[in-house]
Amino acid sequence: MPPKKPQAQAHAPRGAKATASGSKPAEPTSRIEIVDGVDGEIEHPQVEYAGDAATAQEPAAAEHPKRRRAAPEKPKDEFAALLEPFYYGKSLTDPINTAEDKWNLLPAFLKTKGLVKQHVDSYNHFVDVGLRKIIQANQIVRSDVDAKFVLKYTDIRVEQPNRVDEEDLDHHKSSITPNECRLRDMTYAAPIVVDIIYTRGGTRVKRTGVKIGRMPVMLKSNKCVLAGKSDREMAVMDECPLDPGGYFITRGQEKVILVQEQLNKNRVIVESAKGIMQASVTSSTHERRTKTYVIQKKGLMFLRHNTLSEEVPIVFALKALGVLSDKEIMLMIAGDDEAYQDNFSVNFEACAKEKIYTQEKALEYIGHRVRLTKKPMGASRMRNYHLEATECLSNVILPHVPVVGANFRPKALYVAYMARRVVMAMQDPSLVDDRDYVGNKRLELAGQMLALLFEDCFKRFNHDFKMSIDKVLKKQNRAQEFDAFLHFSNHKSHITLGVERAIATGNWNLKRFKMERAGVTHVLSRLSFVAALGMMTRITSQFEKTRKVSGPRAIQASQFGMLCPADTPEGEACGLVKNLALMTHITTEDEEDPVRKIVFGLGAEDINSYTGEGLHTGGVYQVFLNGTPIAITYGPKRFLNSFRQLRRMGRISEFTSIHINHDYKTMQISTDEGRICRPLIVVENGRPKVTARYLKALRRGNMDFEGFLSRGLVEYLDVNEENDSNIAIYESDINQHTTHLEIEPFTLLGAVAGLIPYPHHNQSPRNTYQCAMGKQAIGAIAYNQFQRMDTLLYLMVYPQKPMVKTRTIELIKYDKLPAGQAATVAVMSFSGYDIEDALVLNKASCDRGFGRCQVLKKSAQQLKTYANNTKDLINAAAIDTKEKRHMELGVDGIAQVGARLEQGSVYMLKSTPLDTQSSRQPVLYKETPVTYKLTDCSYVDKVCITENESSGMTTIKTLLRQTRRPELGDKFSSRHGQKGVVGLISPQEDMPFNDQGICPDIIMNPHGFPSRMTVGKMMELLSGKAGVLDGSLQYGTAFGGSKVEDMADLLLKHGFSYSGKDYLTSGITGEALQFYVFFGPIYYQKLKHMVQDKMHSRARGPRAILTRQPTEGRARDGGLRLGEMERDCLIAYGASQLLLERLMLSSDAHNVDVCGRCGQMGYHGYCQMCGDDQEVRQLTMPYAAKLLIQELGAMNIKVVLGLEDEFPAEA
Amino acid sequence: MSSQNYSYNPSGQQASAPVTAESGRSVEYTCGDCDASVQLKRGEPIRCRNCGHRVLYKQRTNRMVQFEAR
Repeated sequence: MPPKKPQAQAHAPRGAKATASGSKPAEPTSRIEIVDGVDGEIEHPQVEYAGDAATAQEPAAAEHPKRRRAAPEKPKDEFAALLEPFYYGKSLTDPINTAEDKWNLLPAFLKTKGLVKQHVDSYNHFVDVGLRKIIQANQIVRSDVDAKFVLKYTDIRVEQPNRVDEEDLDHHKSSITPNECRLRDMTYAAPIVVDIIYTRGGTRVKRTGVKIGRMPVMLKSNKCVLAGKSDREMAVMDECPLDPGGYFITRGQEKVILVQEQLNKNRVIVESAKGIMQASVTSSTHERRTKTYVIQKKGLMFLRHNTLSEEVPIVFALKALGVLSDKEIMLMIAGDDEAYQDNFSVNFEACAKEKIYTQEKALEYIGHRVRLTKKPMGASRMRNYHLEATECLSNVILPHVPVVGANFRPKALYVAYMARRVVMAMQDPSLVDDRDYVGNKRLELAGQMLALLFEDCFKRFNHDFKMSIDKVLKKQNRAQEFDAFLHFSNHKSHITLGVERAIATGNWNLKRFKMERAGVTHVLSRLSFVAALGMMTRITSQFEKTRKVSGPRAIQASQFGMLCPADTPEGEACGLVKNLALMTHITTEDEEDPVRKIVFGLGAEDINSYTGEGLHTGGVYQVFLNGTPIAITYGPKRFLNSFRQLRRMGRISEFTSIHINHDYKTMQISTDEGRICRPLIVVENGRPKVTARYLKALRRGNMDFEGFLSRGLVEYLDVNEENDSNIAIYESDINQHTTHLEIEPFTLLGAVAGLIPYPHHNQSPRNTYQCAMGKQAIGAIAYNQFQRMDTLLYLMVYPQKPMVKTRTIELIKYDKLPAGQAATVAVMSFSGYDIEDALVLNKASCDRGFGRCQVLKKSAQQLKTYANNTKDLINAAAIDTKEKRHMELGVDGIAQVGARLEQGSVYMLKSTPLDTQSSRQPVLYKETPVTYKLTDCSYVDKVCITENESSGMTTIKTLLRQTRRPELGDKFSSRHGQKGVVGLISPQEDMPFNDQGICPDIIMNPHGFPSRMTVGKMMELLSGKAGVLDGSLQYGTAFGGSKVEDMADLLLKHGFSYSGKDYLTSGITGEALQFYVFFGPIYYQKLKHMVQDKMHSRARGPRAILTRQPTEGRARDGGLRLGEMERDCLIAYGASQLLLERLMLSSDAHNVDVCGRCGQMGYHGYCQMCGDDQEVRQLTMPYAAKLLIQELGAMNIKVVLGLEDEFPAEA
Repeated sequence: MSSQNYSYNPSGQQASAPVTAESGRSVEYTCGDCDASVQLKRGEPIRCRNCGHRVLYKQRTNRMVQFEAR
């Protein structure tokens, strides 16, 4: 670790003052150099391949001196020690047992990667590598007017985050912190700078460090100020060290770009539907995103693409791609398999029918069917079909297969491969691909989403820049020498605003890819620590939300260890929204070229030098790199093994995957981004490579996870490669075929499901329910929870860490920010107030603070500045000392901190100008006091006054606090999906107690158990009870944890029944209860649904203006609706008078004058239509009905009301 | 249209009155960064004079506050 620089902090204020004086010239940041007369190439910034060489270095050797150096200078940070990887219950000297202690790798993994490594890695990759790739793809800007003008980007960087007003300061280290951005509603962003070379007059000018916009910075990424900070430094910055990071702060809001699930790009997928077999590929390159199909319809095979107006017979396509002889086509597709040949040979008939035998003819055929994107210029409709077809085939169809020069061979091979897949699937339907297979999916992360967005913004920036210089260059005579740089900085708000707006609103609108996605970002839920964490691991599905099919929603066997099987919402999004498992990693993109070199280095031969015959002879396997065939090999097994060997040695990136497919005789190598993978222990010769020696080194701190990786003891496998491996779950399961060993089986669950003790004993839906509820539990949110100003914050007053914890709880540090309390539970019936899952609470426990929570609500007021330069203001002069509602105000017109606000109290005396348009003097103001509306009182917890960064408007945020104790109807839940509301708060003297006088905090009805089958809850009680008696914390880790038998022994040792049942005495009668009661501590969570926020009633109240019916909802003091179904009941029962009263009299009764003659409505007893008042009668009808009649009238539909006597006179 | 008692008006809004600006009275705030106390008058930029931080907090009242302990 580099030595810390406290002096940097001390400098900050001086620099900040310089901003205030603000007399700096406009462009101090960019240095200017004249590169004289250089005509040739300008050096590209080399994108370094994050090399294997670095990782291949012996870590031990590199680490020794580092450790020795670090030890003396590192200040003793005892707090940080708590957060180091921990090996609970094991001291350094304890013996190591590989079978049990290999889980130590897990904390080591999380230490290097963190819990949200996928987001941070993706963002880092984007900022460090992705940005460069984007400017390389859009490197040169030319002018349409002046051919001599060139602007070239040579490099791009994202600098350290700073405030907007610090943009122009040079050599200034900003003291910005993420929490400041949260409080001041700013965007946490850093300037993006580029190096450019452009022509000015006759010279080439080089400028470095030109700002082109601001990039929002992901928290804890390598650009963030929090990167690599110790806990102490984090505390200084008001930041929580346990916060996962991985989100952005835009306009003061924490925004997460959720992980998006998509179908594989650039890979062939074979599907069948209604007798059609098709192979499709979504090609995705920087320029284009298209889909190409090879389909088999009625026995014939075609190539289909959007730019082709009709399907082209596959044979023509291949001929056009330069495969001329029919025999070669046949061999490329069908090989020497006769069944395939029979199936395919019909396709050659098309040649005879259309008389197309040459490439020339085939190109012409395709050229006729190319849809023109651009309208042909002028009247000359002369189309060069040849050229169009060539153009289309090389650039539009399968664009991810590059055509170098005029070499169409790779593309022909690709089309042939697609066709072969179709032919094979026709013969053997089991070869149809499964779209839901996790290996066929890619996850799109923040980095990729930002890359798309940034490229779009950057292109527009360049376009606008070009337009503005064109405008100037068009003028023949200019007063001064033209400097394009002056136009350059004008457009930087496009990039800044474009990116910021997208993240703030979640709308990703890209014209280029016709992409319009809404809801890409979400506000980070801060209901509890787990809620925030759960949000960071969430995956949303991009496709088919409405379809009723169960396929995409069902659990997939291939998601084992990658996606959590328990954590998914119930209802609509069930199975479509998923969560990552604990050890999952999502790959970032790696360079292809080094891998390609290694493929050929391993003796594979270039596929282009082989004919169709050579491709499909026995024993030959094709090697695919990211879905494109590049080589063939005769020794697939040897190739595979040596490739893996090289990866373990660190010669290839550890995230490269290779797997073999014996059906297609292919070898697939992947280096692309978005693959899900996880680490596993390598097993060789029936022995795991991780041995006690390495684990000892790990525990001592001599080795970290990276060390395990670079030594090839542990490797990452993606889903496809995992499918190739034989993975033993326990060391004892290893046999001679085993290739890998699981690090820990409980990592197959995610972070949220990991909170459940003994989940493997629960019925599975219960675990799913708990995953949903764990996110609603009230508890501690972060160490900086009191420094934050969230709109709504629930905090528990006395949170406790669970008695029965899991390894996951320790790993995600839930025990440091818990959300719940260990309640002593008696499972028995008590009164009638515990039916239907209701709980009986001990009143004395509530008095002692059980379930007590605080609710903090923020109300933010902005003092706006209007168009005519008038402003809102705080009018302290209007305080009326005699007015009771003004009692809480301070001399500044804002409520005093600590004051109690009752309903109707004014907590801010704001005035707004009456006239916000004209500039009339004097400015008149209207009093708009901010009043407290809730019925229950609150205390003013904090008042924060700050200035908005961009608008300069004053924002006053008031934090109002309520402390709530549990009341009837508040919702509680254990960690096993067993929720219940408080049915009774019973005085302690009535509660049962045991021999020792222990009284339960909660009494739970035993009917909760039989149908729910939450055995885990019983085991939690047992382990918890044993732990209480023993003074220890027990484990309920999935597929492990403390054994029931051991717990029973512990109970016995302390004189309790081994079954966990106790003898209780009734508090009411004083007699012994006739039964033994299952009695012990269970961790209970208080959920955010509280009666106080929901209680609502109304007799009379506000009505909607349009319909005059009662308003809706508690917030508007709305009425209680007698809905359709209730109405149906009343109709069926025949309670007509009740109906009339509910639906009209108590709602929107209205008197109207209706003319019996014309059936129209009149007024004041007069009919306007008939011109008299003879037949006009008054009657009552719902106002909504009257409105409907009038609205229909407005649409030229006449409605006539027919009147008749209710009690007709006898004729 | 008669809409006298249909629209609900929670607080009777007063008519306009020109504000008599009571300047000179300054209020003490606490800086969110360095904890220094900052005297602010109306219209002054919100900024700590000591460290330049722009988040200020209102100081706690010195009136007596009574809590209901239950």
